[in-house]
Amino acid sequence: MGENKKMIQFTKWEIITLIGAIILPFIFDFSPYIQGLLIFIMLWVILGSSWNLLAGFTGQVSFGHAAYFGVGAYTAGLLYFHFKISPWWGLLLGGFVAVIFGYLLGIIVFRLRGPYFALGTLATGEILRLVFGEEEWLTNGHNGILYMTTWVSKYPYYFVGLALAAASVISIKIIMRTKAGFYFLSIREDEDAAAALGINTKKYKNISMAVSTFWAGIAGAFYMIYMGFIDPEVVFSLHNISILSILVGIIGGVGTVWGPAVGAVTMVFVQELFRSALFGLAPQWFSGLHALIFGVLVIVVILFMPGGIMGDWELIAKRFRKSTRAESEA
Amino acid sequence: MKKIKIILLLLAFGFVALSLNSCGKSETGPIKIGVLLPLTGHQANFGSMEKNSYELARAKINAAGGIDGRQLEFVYEDDTGKPDVGRAGAEKLINVNKVPMISGGYSSSVTFAAAAVAQQYRTPFLVNTGSVDKITQPEAFNLTVNDGAKFYIYRLNPPVSEYASGLEGLLANVIKPATVYIIHENTTFGTKGAKAFQKSSEKLGIEVLNVESYSSGTVDFKPILLNAQKANPDMVYMISYVMDASMLMKQAREIKFYPKLFVGAGAGFTMPAFKDNAGKASEGVISATLWHQTLPIPGAKEYYDEYVKKYGGDGPDYHGAEAYSAAMVVADVLKRCKGDYEKETIKKALDATDMMTVFGPVKFQSYGKKIHQNKMETYVVQWIDGTLKLIWPKDLANADVVYPIDWEKIWAE
Repeated sequence: MGENKKMIQFTKWEIITLIGAIILPFIFDFSPYIQGLLIFIMLWVILGSSWNLLAGFTGQVSFGHAAYFGVGAYTAGLLYFHFKISPWWGLLLGGFVAVIFGYLLGIIVFRLRGPYFALGTLATGEILRLVFGEEEWLTNGHNGILYMTTWVSKYPYYFVGLALAAASVISIKIIMRTKAGFYFLSIREDEDAAAALGINTKKYKNISMAVSTFWAGIAGAFYMIYMGFIDPEVVFSLHNISILSILVGIIGGVGTVWGPAVGAVTMVFVQELFRSALFGLAPQWFSGLHALIFGVLVIVVILFMPGGIMGDWELIAKRFRKSTRAESEA
Repeated sequence: MKKIKIILLLLAFGFVALSLNSCGKSETGPIKIGVLLPLTGHQANFGSMEKNSYELARAKINAAGGIDGRQLEFVYEDDTGKPDVGRAGAEKLINVNKVPMISGGYSSSVTFAAAAVAQQYRTPFLVNTGSVDKITQPEAFNLTVNDGAKFYIYRLNPPVSEYASGLEGLLANVIKPATVYIIHENTTFGTKGAKAFQKSSEKLGIEVLNVESYSSGTVDFKPILLNAQKANPDMVYMISYVMDASMLMKQAREIKFYPKLFVGAGAGFTMPAFKDNAGKASEGVISATLWHQTLPIPGAKEYYDEYVKKYGGDGPDYHGAEAYSAAMVVADVLKRCKGDYEKETIKKALDATDMMTVFGPVKFQSYGKKIHQNKMETYVVQWIDGTLKLIWPKDLANADVVYPIDWEKIWAE
């Protein structure tokens, strides 16, 4: 009982953030454009958290999260395409199908370590992209799948996205307080030592993979439901899904519960700021810089805050406190 | 005193806010219509030709007094050739720019994905190039052919299944090939075009030796072309955008692949950029097309000349004519709205469209599974001595088809 209570303990800030996110749309009357950005933030919180569990906490750096994202999206999409079953059912199923794919691909890629694991996962994502593009009888190929979305208003999607994002963060928070969570960390720090201590590393890597792919699949299915259109190039994109998941994790803080959420907000905000050329204030060529600027941001974070925003929060805060103390002393 | 100042300030702000608010609904400002085109990326060649044509038409419309004394303005949104970007672009045009109507739509995949957005927001969308059949088939949007009143998509250009109708005439009456090898790009446009041509081949008694697809951005076509060469077809039929079309022909020339005919399905094969990139290898290539400047359509030649005068180069192909005509249809529709530029009024005016454009007559009809679809003739062109000549139908042609073709001779430096 006591342990249970400890598991679901939230800090003041976590509760404030959650409540803030819930009441935000009731306070401000956002344009559909801003609503769209908020929904993308939710999507990236889920995907970033998913990547972070496997890579940040368990040390298995995946370069192929688009594989599970895409499988989730296609689960929802194909259910509708072939059987006219609402993709909302696919939302649930998408996660589980992604877990199955994750397990099967894990049999191959978990034989690899470090950079080889990263390259292996990268390949799995690319293979799925090509297969889904070619197997037209099953996936409708590059024609993609179109679905007339349920609501024209974006608010319902915001709340669904928020619920999923909150659930993904909380689930990881809980897992990291269980025995499995500590095993994940031990595998990250030294897989051989963990195995020597009697931890079934293969089993726990698979558990981490299962939870991670589950959320990636859910994110994919949510994308399908919200966007109403998927094709292999979009959902299995190496750059737009796999790499961005990594960047969201790195900026926010690898191996921190709230890192991906902070990373998602930063990524969407920075990207949109530049894509829209400072919301139309700068000349048009400025918008071409968005990829570059985001890349520079990542480099700065890696060089000066290797733990990401959340990981180095103490460091940032300490430095800030120190400077204020120095000021007050002077 | 300070309080009064604050009150005055607040009042001033209020006025500014009010005047800003009324700006949006002003009766004298320009009328804004959204245009969705690929302005960057693989399909930018087409996008810029269409944008130029829209601008040419806009200048002409506004010089002639605009729409009931108001200027017409096009708000361009770049779809980069990607369906998801196209959807976001359409959404931005509707929600942020608040346009009452969208026009444009280049690639089939992007147009179809964006059409779903327009349909959802009940915003009229006049498609001018996106050609996959389902764009004007309401069943693809969970509607039926009787739901014309609820269907907001209209299309100026013929669907891809009808692209080769002119070509069929040429093949059946003049050339009569026995075998064909089909090569196509693998998005919606290419796959559906390949299927349509397989049907045509069946009708014409041409044996299809193989159908091979490639993905956009491919630069090495030699494996595909060597396979085709091995199969030794009478005719190679290609459905490609402009860079891939150029590469295909260039590499066919390099490996000395000489079938009786190289035929393109429009798109890349009629573009000036095709000739520029493929060089000598463009010679003798035949293509289906939807338009040619020498057709006896009022204004066609004038449009072509004006375009060349303003933008230089080799002049537009059918893509430019489609865009120019779409802009003219937009102006005509808005004029018939008589000052009420609401989506529903525009839709009603679109329904009643019956006009002549440089692309041919435009009238949105229902037939088969399609509604709001303009019907058009299609033609055949061939690259002869570096220019695109109209070779079919016979009575409209401005050159005789060059056939049989001595590739070795015409491709020689």
